[in-house]
Amino acid sequence: MAKILIPTPLRQFAEKQDSVELPGATVGEVLGALTAKFPDLKKHLYNDEGKLRSFVNVYLNDEDIRYLNKDATPAAPADTLSIVPSIAGGANYGG
Amino acid sequence: MIHIERNPWREMVNHAQAAYPNECCGAMIGSIDGENKTVVRALALDNISAGSQRARYELRPEDLLHADREAREHKLDLIGIYHSHPDCGAYFSETDLKNSCPWYSFIVLSIQSGVFDHANSWLPNAEQTHAEKEELTWPKS
Repeated sequence: MAKILIPTPLRQFAEKQDSVELPGATVGEVLGALTAKFPDLKKHLYNDEGKLRSFVNVYLNDEDIRYLNKDATPAAPADTLSIVPSIAGGANYGG
Repeated sequence: MIHIERNPWREMVNHAQAAYPNECCGAMIGSIDGENKTVVRALALDNISAGSQRARYELRPEDLLHADREAREHKLDLIGIYHSHPDCGAYFSETDLKNSCPWYSFIVLSIQSGVFDHANSWLPNAEQTHAEKEELTWPKS
């Protein structure tokens, strides 16, 4: 059972829990268990094509899974998954 | 609506003025009660945008991860992101919108000639096509 930390704005779709422990041998399986348990979370994390939204990063402990083995990254019971957004911007003069 | 308490507000304005003529960025930590958010802590974070930072900012995701952990340790929430617009208004630009996340309030501080001028808070949608203005208050004196 890996632990997933739920970002504050998404807790309303996860029975107001700030973290949940879910089964899964890989990060992809744990995320699948998350959206199976809380279907309303899915559209906030995934686009219509079923891919993680462009601004959604998943960290296994302190590592971005894109630099590990992505969804196939093994998840151990002591691991913590975090959902972290990518954020940037700028004045874009004249915009 | 979102209210910024005095200390975090001062830190955000000082950060934005110190970064001028570049953009600054940071995270806001606080509490949420229904539709009302209160910011009790501002965390100045690095602008890691490559090249000129006069009209660009980028947050390091690891910094947001740590901000979220810090909020949890204090039984608070990560509720917003702030950044500055040097020498232009506190609008939510196309660049802001296309690189936003709908989970947080985005506060933009307008810094004119190095001095704080005005600020707005924005709530972008998930499709990154529109941002709604959110009522924003801070201590005026």
